[in-house]
Amino acid sequence: METPIVSEAETLVTNLVEETKLIKKKMTVIVAVQNFEESLDETYLSLKQNLEPLDHSLEIVFVDDGSSDKTWDHLRAISEKDAAVKAIRLRADSGEAAAFDAGLKNSDGDEIIFMSSRKRIDPAGLPNLLNKLDQGFHLVIGWRHHRADSKLNQVISKGFNWLVKKLYRVKLNDVNSGVFVAKREIFEEVPIYGDMNIFVPVLAARKGFKVGEEKIGQLTGSFRQSKFISEYIQRILDVITVIFLMNYSKRPLHFLGFLGFIFTFAGVFINLYLFIDRMTGVEGIAGRPMLLLGALLLVIGIQMISIGLIGEIIIFTHAHDLKEYSIEEILE
Amino acid sequence: MKNKKTLAYSVTVPLMNEEENVELLYDGIVEVMDLMDEAYEIVFIDDGSTDKTFEIMQRLQRRDENMKVIKFRRNFGQSAAMGAGFEYASGNIVIAMDGDLQNDPKDIPKLVSKLKEGYDIVSGWRQNRQDKVIIRKIPSKIANGLIRHFTQVPIQDTGCSLKAYTKEIVKKIRLYGELHRFIPALARIEGARIGEVPVNHHARQFGSSKYNITRTLKVIMDLTTLNLFLKYLRNPMHFFGTIGIVFNLFGVITLLYMFFSILVLRNTLEEVNVLLSTAFIFIAGGFQSLFFGLLANLVVKTGDRKSIGTVENGSGEKLN
Repeated sequence: METPIVSEAETLVTNLVEETKLIKKKMTVIVAVQNFEESLDETYLSLKQNLEPLDHSLEIVFVDDGSSDKTWDHLRAISEKDAAVKAIRLRADSGEAAAFDAGLKNSDGDEIIFMSSRKRIDPAGLPNLLNKLDQGFHLVIGWRHHRADSKLNQVISKGFNWLVKKLYRVKLNDVNSGVFVAKREIFEEVPIYGDMNIFVPVLAARKGFKVGEEKIGQLTGSFRQSKFISEYIQRILDVITVIFLMNYSKRPLHFLGFLGFIFTFAGVFINLYLFIDRMTGVEGIAGRPMLLLGALLLVIGIQMISIGLIGEIIIFTHAHDLKEYSIEEILE
Repeated sequence: MKNKKTLAYSVTVPLMNEEENVELLYDGIVEVMDLMDEAYEIVFIDDGSTDKTFEIMQRLQRRDENMKVIKFRRNFGQSAAMGAGFEYASGNIVIAMDGDLQNDPKDIPKLVSKLKEGYDIVSGWRQNRQDKVIIRKIPSKIANGLIRHFTQVPIQDTGCSLKAYTKEIVKKIRLYGELHRFIPALARIEGARIGEVPVNHHARQFGSSKYNITRTLKVIMDLTTLNLFLKYLRNPMHFFGTIGIVFNLFGVITLLYMFFSILVLRNTLEEVNVLLSTAFIFIAGGFQSLFFGLLANLVVKTGDRKSIGTVENGSGEKLN
C-alpha cells in the first residue's frame, strides 16, 4: 500500500526539484530601444525564435529610452500579448547605461543578455555567447563579425578598441559591440553609470571576473546616423573619465599632483630665469610675454594640485564603504 | 564565528603566493595564541595567489573552526588585503602581520600587553633588521625619518607590519590606495595614541619580497597629503586661502609695478601690457584658490568625518 504513495511523493519531489532547477535557470534579455518602431517586431520574433528552444525560462525586457516615434505603442502591444515580455519607458533620452540599469532592476534572471537596438545585432548568435558563458565565464561580450555598419564607423570603432586595449590591458576586440551576456551576480560589484555600459566588460575584468568574447553577426539594414559625431566625442570623454576613475579615483593627487608639479616647476623656473635676467641685465621684463607664460603655468600648476587635494579630501571624508577588493569566497 | 561568544583577538594576515610559508605561519600563530588562553580567530586573506596558497589555507581551515579565509578574485594589493582583514576581523584586539615569516608570532603577547596599557595602536619595531643594508635598511631609515617628521607619529619603524590595534581604531580607519604604509598616520588624524615595542625580525626564508619600495614619488605625495590632512582637515580654508592670498599679493605687486613703470619710468600702456595680463592671471588664480578653500570646507562639513581626532584612548579596562 505504501509504495505507490512513496513513489508519488518521490515524483512530487523530483518535479519540485526540476521546477526549482527551471526557476534557477532564468534568463533575462534586456533590449535598449530608441526610435525603433520599424524593426521592433522583427527583433522580438527573432529573440523568441532563437532563445526559446534553450533550456531556460525566458524573460524579455524592452527599455524604451525616450523614443519619439511609435516604439512605445508597439512595445505595449507586444507586452500585452506576451506575458514573458516587460516594457519599461524611460524619460527622454536617459542613455543606454540608464536603460540597462532599469532593465536589470526590473528583472530577475540569473543570466542577463544585454542588447542595444542601435547596433543591430543578430539574435541568432546569442546562443553561442550563452554557451561560452556556461564554460565558466562571468561575462561574454559579442564581437561583431561581417559588420554591416558604415566603413567610417568601423574604422573609428577599430581605433577606439585599440585605445581601450592599450589603456586597460584587456584582450577584447569590440567593447562597444552593444551586446553581452553576463551572470547577474557581477552587477553587485560592477558599477553601471553615466554613459558607460560599454565599459562594463572592462570594469568587470578589473574586478577580477572572467571576461570572454565570442563572435556574433550583425543584421543588415538602416543604421541611424544622427548624433554620430557627438557620440564619439562623448565616448572619448568617457575614456578619460574611466581612466581616471579606475587608476586614480582613490588617489586623485597621484595623478593631478604629478601634472601640477610639472606645471608649477616650469612656471617657477621661467619666472626665476626672468628675475635673474632682470637683475643682471638691462632688458626690463614688462614687455616680455615669457612672464605671462611663467605666471600662467605657476597658477595652473598650483590649481591642479589644489583640485587633486580636494579630491583626496572628498574621498577621505565621503567614501563610506570604499572597497577596493572583490571577494570570491569566504571560508569560516 | 560560529559560536557567538565575543572574541578577544583576531590575527589577520594578507598572503600572496606564500605556499611555503602558510603552514609554518599558521602553526606559529596557533602556538602563541593558544597560550594566551582567550578566544581568538585567525583571518587569512588570499590576495590573488597563483600558487597553492589557497589550497593550503582551505585545508587548514577545514580542521580549525577558529580560522577564516578570505579569497580575493585577483590581486588587489596589500592595502586592500589588510582592509579586508580589518573589515572581517571581529576580535576586540586586532593583530596584523605579514605572511612572509619575517615577523615572529611570538611577539604578539608583547604587543597586546603594551596595547592594554592604554594605546590604540602598538607597532612592532624591528631593532635588528635582517635585510640587506644598502637597498633596504638605509632607504628605510631615511623614509622613517621623513614619515616621522611629516605625520607626527613618534615611532621609529613605520614599515613594520606587525601591529596590534583596538577594534575601535580598526573600524574607523579606511585603507585605500596604498595607504597601508601609513596606518599610524591615518590613525593619528583620528586622534589615536600610538606606542611601539621592539620585535624580532627574521630574514626571508622562502619566496621573495613582493612589495617594493621604489615608488618614491607616490610616497612623497602620500606624505604631503597626510601632513596637510593632519594640519588642515578640520579647516581646509586655512590652506587654500593662504595660497589665494599669496597669489593675490603677486597680482597686486605686479599691478603696482605696472603703475610704477607708467608713472615713473614713463612707459606707455602698450609696453607694459604683459604686466597687466600677468597681474590678472595671478588675481584670477588667487580668487579661485579662495573658492577652492570654500569648496573644501563645504566638502569636509558635509562628510562623515565630523568627529576627526576624537578617538577615545583605548583603556586597559575597556579592552578586557
